[in-house]
Amino acid sequence: MIRFENVTKVYDPNARPALDAVNLEIDRGEFTFLVGASGSGKSTFLRLILKEDRATSGSVYVAGQNVANISSWRVPKLRRGIGVVFQDFRLLPQKNVFANVAFAMQVIGKSRSIIRETVPEVLKTVGLEGKERRMPHELSGGEQQRVAIARAVVNRPGILLADEPTGNLDPITSMGIMGVLDKINQNGTTVVMATHDDDIVNEMRKRVVELRNGVVVRDEAKALYTSMIPVVGESRRMKDASDAEIDRAQGVQQ
Amino acid sequence: MRLAFILGEIGSGLRRNLSMVISVVLVTFVSLTFVGAAGMLQMQINQMKGYWYDKVQVAIFLCNDSSTSTGCASGAVTKEQQDNLAKMLDSPAVKQYINDYQFESQADAFKHFKEQFSNSPIVDSVTQDQLPSSFRINMKDPQKYQIISETFSSQAGVETVSDQRQVLERIFEWMNGASVAAMVVAGVMIFCAVLLITTTIRLSAFSRRRETGIMRLVGASKTVIQLPFILEGVIAAVVGAVLASGTLWLVAQFWLNGDLSQQFLNTPFISSTQVLVIAPVLIALGGGLAGISSLLTLRRYLKV
Repeated sequence: MIRFENVTKVYDPNARPALDAVNLEIDRGEFTFLVGASGSGKSTFLRLILKEDRATSGSVYVAGQNVANISSWRVPKLRRGIGVVFQDFRLLPQKNVFANVAFAMQVIGKSRSIIRETVPEVLKTVGLEGKERRMPHELSGGEQQRVAIARAVVNRPGILLADEPTGNLDPITSMGIMGVLDKINQNGTTVVMATHDDDIVNEMRKRVVELRNGVVVRDEAKALYTSMIPVVGESRRMKDASDAEIDRAQGVQQ
Repeated sequence: MRLAFILGEIGSGLRRNLSMVISVVLVTFVSLTFVGAAGMLQMQINQMKGYWYDKVQVAIFLCNDSSTSTGCASGAVTKEQQDNLAKMLDSPAVKQYINDYQFESQADAFKHFKEQFSNSPIVDSVTQDQLPSSFRINMKDPQKYQIISETFSSQAGVETVSDQRQVLERIFEWMNGASVAAMVVAGVMIFCAVLLITTTIRLSAFSRRRETGIMRLVGASKTVIQLPFILEGVIAAVVGAVLASGTLWLVAQFWLNGDLSQQFLNTPFISSTQVLVIAPVLIALGGGLAGISSLLTLRRYLKV
């Protein structure tokens, strides 16, 4: 469903690449966690799938299509096949729950009757029955994220990208959101979720792809947040990093 | 569905940006009024040219007792000199340039003068001998005035050869100048209008960046995302153009054909229906400019 072939993305030629020769394949219907520290390249990975950015070299295939070959007027069609969820929900504050979800269908020209039929169904899937008329500010964070998920999947995309969807939520609410994402995945949608949340990753036991400095350092099925296999030289690297941090702090003091 | 959606977006955009939209309407209104005024002046010039050029003539004024010019050193024109001039006008060399001519005697001149200045006290102080007699020539081609002037101004008994067109030319030049000035003001105002539309669309795009961001992510087409913004600018500008057209129509209807036409009875003014010809031009100009400037702004400030 998603295939990265030797993909490198360079934002600043003087800095290290955001993604460095990444090879990865995610199959249809898979649930994949993308883990790694901030700046490890997770967001770049997602942006490349959406064709928000162009890979510096290598090819990105989405649903069998090389995104580099998709002309700009056909990009909307690519994006209709991909749902996206963010850490900050990105709801429209002046629209109620129903209107927020319906918005995604309106802008691609779905008829009113189809919207009236589909939106309640999707809201039921994400567990928001009976809250159609609420405004976003009347909802809890978890509920807002459910609305965002409903909006992302209402057009039945084959792929759902989630960029730290639980980043603003407490652990219990987060588990609820994961339940929703899992259900969507069970219905056949490929889910790629970038996250820092180790509890969730450990709980779900799905495929984990770990990025570090733009390189895939681990790709394990049914894995945990941290690798069970010790990485050679890891403790050494950590020590160097903390030494550098101390030096910097001292430099500021002086 | 999509149409209803786009219309709804336009409505919400106009409401949210109301003060900016009003300023766009006003600026396009003022600028297009100036454009239209320049157009009206040109129409008025053409109308007056058509009307007057048929009537104006070249006049060869003959010497009278009080003439002071060098050609009149020998005193008032004699019968002989006058016949000689008439003969020259009938000769083939001159005839090819003129349609016909009339002789206006001093008595005729006095009569015309009294008619023309009937309201003025000057009539009482002028006597018949003070006015010159003249040949009034109707030219085939008014541009050939120079030939008549050269042929006749040095003849004995001729005081001066005058082209009445020149008097009118001066009026037309003045009106032309006014229309150029109106165009310059219009140009500056249009420039302002374009900048203002650009800023308005930018603000509008910025204030709705959440919506457009989501639209982009769920795969809305470029048209659906951009059209509401472009139409927002176009609608504001077209409203301005309609106001400008209405104002010009009012000016033509109640000022030109009301007050002014009563003061200047002999002057043909353009009618208010003629002004309506300008309206579509103004609307197209306003809408076109707004559309193009919005499109260019969106290309820079709205990612799709």
